[in-house]
Amino acid sequence: MAEKVLTVCPYCGSGCKMNLLVEDGAIVGAEGAHGVTNEGELCLKGYYGWDFLNDTKLLTPRLRKPLLRRHRGEDLKEVSWDEAIQFTASRLKEIKHKYGADSIMLTGSARGPGNEANYVMQKFARAVIGTNNIDHCARVCHAPSVAGLQATLGNGAMSNSIVEIEDTKCIFVFGYNAADSHPIVARRIVRAKEKGAKIVVCDPRRIETARIADLYLPIKNGCNMALVNAFGNVLIEENLYNQEYVRKYTEGFEEYKAVVAKYTPEYVEKIAGVPAAQIRQAMRIYAAAPSATILWGMGVTQWGQGVSVVKGLAALALLTGNLGRPNVGVGPVRGQNNVQGTCDMGVLPNVFPGYQKVMDPEVRAKFAKAWGVSDLPANPGYCLTEVPRATKQGKLKAYYVFGEDPAQSDPDLAGIREALEEMELVVVQDIFMNKTAVFADVILPATSWGEHEGVFTCADRGFQHFNKAIEPKGDVKPDWEILSLLATAMGYPMTYKNTKEIWDELRELCPLFFGATYERMEGLGYVQWPCPAPGHPGTQYLYTGNKFDMPNGKGLLSAAEWIPPFDKLDEEFPVILCTVREVGHYSVRTMTGNCRALQTLADEPGYLQINSADAKKHGIEDQQLVWISSRRGKVLVRAQVTDRANEGAVYMTYQWWVGACNELTVDHFDPVSKTPEYKYTAARLESIEDQAAAEAYLQTEYNAMREKLSSVAGN
Amino acid sequence: MNKLVIADPGKCIGCRTCEIACVLAHSATDAMVKMSPASFNPRLTVVKTTTVSTPVQCRQCEDAPCAAVCPTGTLVLRNNTVEVIPSRCIGCKSCMIACRFGVIEVLPCDALLSDRPVISGTHVEAVKCDLCAHRANGPACVEVCPTKAISVIDAALFVQAGRKRREHAAMAQAAFSPGEYPGQMGA
Repeated sequence: MAEKVLTVCPYCGSGCKMNLLVEDGAIVGAEGAHGVTNEGELCLKGYYGWDFLNDTKLLTPRLRKPLLRRHRGEDLKEVSWDEAIQFTASRLKEIKHKYGADSIMLTGSARGPGNEANYVMQKFARAVIGTNNIDHCARVCHAPSVAGLQATLGNGAMSNSIVEIEDTKCIFVFGYNAADSHPIVARRIVRAKEKGAKIVVCDPRRIETARIADLYLPIKNGCNMALVNAFGNVLIEENLYNQEYVRKYTEGFEEYKAVVAKYTPEYVEKIAGVPAAQIRQAMRIYAAAPSATILWGMGVTQWGQGVSVVKGLAALALLTGNLGRPNVGVGPVRGQNNVQGTCDMGVLPNVFPGYQKVMDPEVRAKFAKAWGVSDLPANPGYCLTEVPRATKQGKLKAYYVFGEDPAQSDPDLAGIREALEEMELVVVQDIFMNKTAVFADVILPATSWGEHEGVFTCADRGFQHFNKAIEPKGDVKPDWEILSLLATAMGYPMTYKNTKEIWDELRELCPLFFGATYERMEGLGYVQWPCPAPGHPGTQYLYTGNKFDMPNGKGLLSAAEWIPPFDKLDEEFPVILCTVREVGHYSVRTMTGNCRALQTLADEPGYLQINSADAKKHGIEDQQLVWISSRRGKVLVRAQVTDRANEGAVYMTYQWWVGACNELTVDHFDPVSKTPEYKYTAARLESIEDQAAAEAYLQTEYNAMREKLSSVAGN
Repeated sequence: MNKLVIADPGKCIGCRTCEIACVLAHSATDAMVKMSPASFNPRLTVVKTTTVSTPVQCRQCEDAPCAAVCPTGTLVLRNNTVEVIPSRCIGCKSCMIACRFGVIEVLPCDALLSDRPVISGTHVEAVKCDLCAHRANGPACVEVCPTKAISVIDAALFVQAGRKRREHAAMAQAAFSPGEYPGQMGA
């Protein structure tokens, strides 16, 4: 009989509680548990996404021993933990001594390690190395949501909760494909529809939610700011906004009104590609609903002006009074299982854990005292996406990559590879051999989700505890233990005994999280921050009494002029490439690519979604291999002809290692959040006459890549 | 009346969790290790068109064309379903040609990850939705669907649904005013 170990799904941010079924020390299955967000349901990743723990080597092998090369060009060799730690510590010390602490860049990990490991990582960066150069993949995903919402409402997270989505009377979906990104959130949208909610969808693709929408706006790629301004324009000009709410609880109305004045639906219809009447209709539905929720995803954030668009969406909620009560609000639904938590833990260049600003001397003094150091760095550090340029300028010399794979996930991969080669030291701490680890001088192998315990924060600020299910194989250590050894070797003793001890230390330092104890997270326990005291129930929705977390308590109405996409289409590159998600795979695919069932559903080189008219124009048939190139690179990919994709644009997912779309993407960033414009790259398609040869080439490339990763890992 | 598994496209999100569950429910316990694209043959297939997403599977037809054309009696009407008797299948594909829904397939036994001993002389099998008759909890697809889009409909549910629909029809008919349709009223 299998033993059941209660944990939290390691994939998207839905926060599904689940049981791993363990027999003779191995996982044999998974089943849903009745967590708050999932109510016993799981999607395919939850049910069938655990066998990467068995080191299937379908894509890339697990790391089992510390690996080290003392000189570039040599092979990585297995070494003892002691040797790996001593080497890393001495190299980091040398680099710090030679170039200063700010020449070292570190990352956190929004996936399996959990909050405690991330807390220790940022403490290591700030207290031991002495830099705020710490960031993580939120930068390339929901960083604009955090920045935009902090600037307008005061808190960067979802204002309301996943459970509330099904009881709202209107769901306004903007650039968010719940069915592919968060099936368990999609379930709430389906239920809301059944309960009579109106659904409005703005997306260039006919996504699953568009199928069940009352109104679907098939927008042009790159129109966001103009369209959101037009929505604001309609609310004001048609007098659909809540004047009393605006007067009492917001500021900036006159300035806002002035900016959106020009963006009449008639003016915007050409930019957005949808009739003015539909733009008006969308706002009439949204404003008429007694409760309305806006949900958005990467379709809003992965643009050069993502922050401004987030502010604009917040303005729609403020104008209609859809905040500060149940079943309303603004919902940037976080992508990775612990990307909310990694932000919570201060794995960002400008804040300590609990969103306490590094610029604030009182905050710095508090953390310095608690961590036993004389002072802490005051200037915000580099963002993840600034690494290539800062390296080229000679400002960064070492990169400590923890549980991420920038050589797969970041835009313009050629630029990332150059930076990794340029670095004097690259440390990779991970569970799998990945593309970044190929450049590493030291590889520190860690335990995986399933092999350690901790706390994750799901998309709606809910803390949940996850258990260890099996013993790890090989000479691996929990992330926080590796970092403690390193800190100690660098002259800063860290002696944590378990994750609870770490959690209690960070709770004491973070008023927002103080009441969320391990005891309260036992079993199916779910504690949503802010939770300032042990007796506090946690916070299902923010801004009670319409009091915003702003200096004067008022929400800020903000709009900005529309800026067209950065990359330009021309005769050579006439097609828009937009990067998206697909439901069966996750993140950089080290995990799901090593799961048998998930890999069976979809494998390399990945898919290019293309409209049938475009396919015909290019002489491309469904399932054929094609070349796609941009001004930065060229990759092979398999066409998936579907009229859910709009004409003129093609769609790829970033998890494919052979068909790696980030070889093509443009390194243009939002000026505030430094988030890349993954959603718009000028590209060119080429059909391939000899499909058999292309299939053979694909297999050769795929095998060569697997063999290389295996050999670097010493397997 | 036969019972059948059917999905509501209004709830389906196209995630294909049902397909994996189906394969595993009809496979040996080591299927998670042995699964490959060649051996991944779910008995229901998620179809996504521009406007519809839904799994499609056997309707368990009352007057099943597959059973009617099968020369060896492999397909039989039993237990309110169309059942397959694998040992009788010769792989002639008549059922595939006859099926109006494209939901029966003749597959080599080694493409099925099955733990059932191969009966001497049989190398192929007609494969279609069997409502997971061997599972105590019923169809695996119904169990795992995260949006509860899939359900089993039997005679009793048809009666119930029909009654509801007729009630709705009656309500709609309440607005009927015969005076406006003189030609139709046989006046």
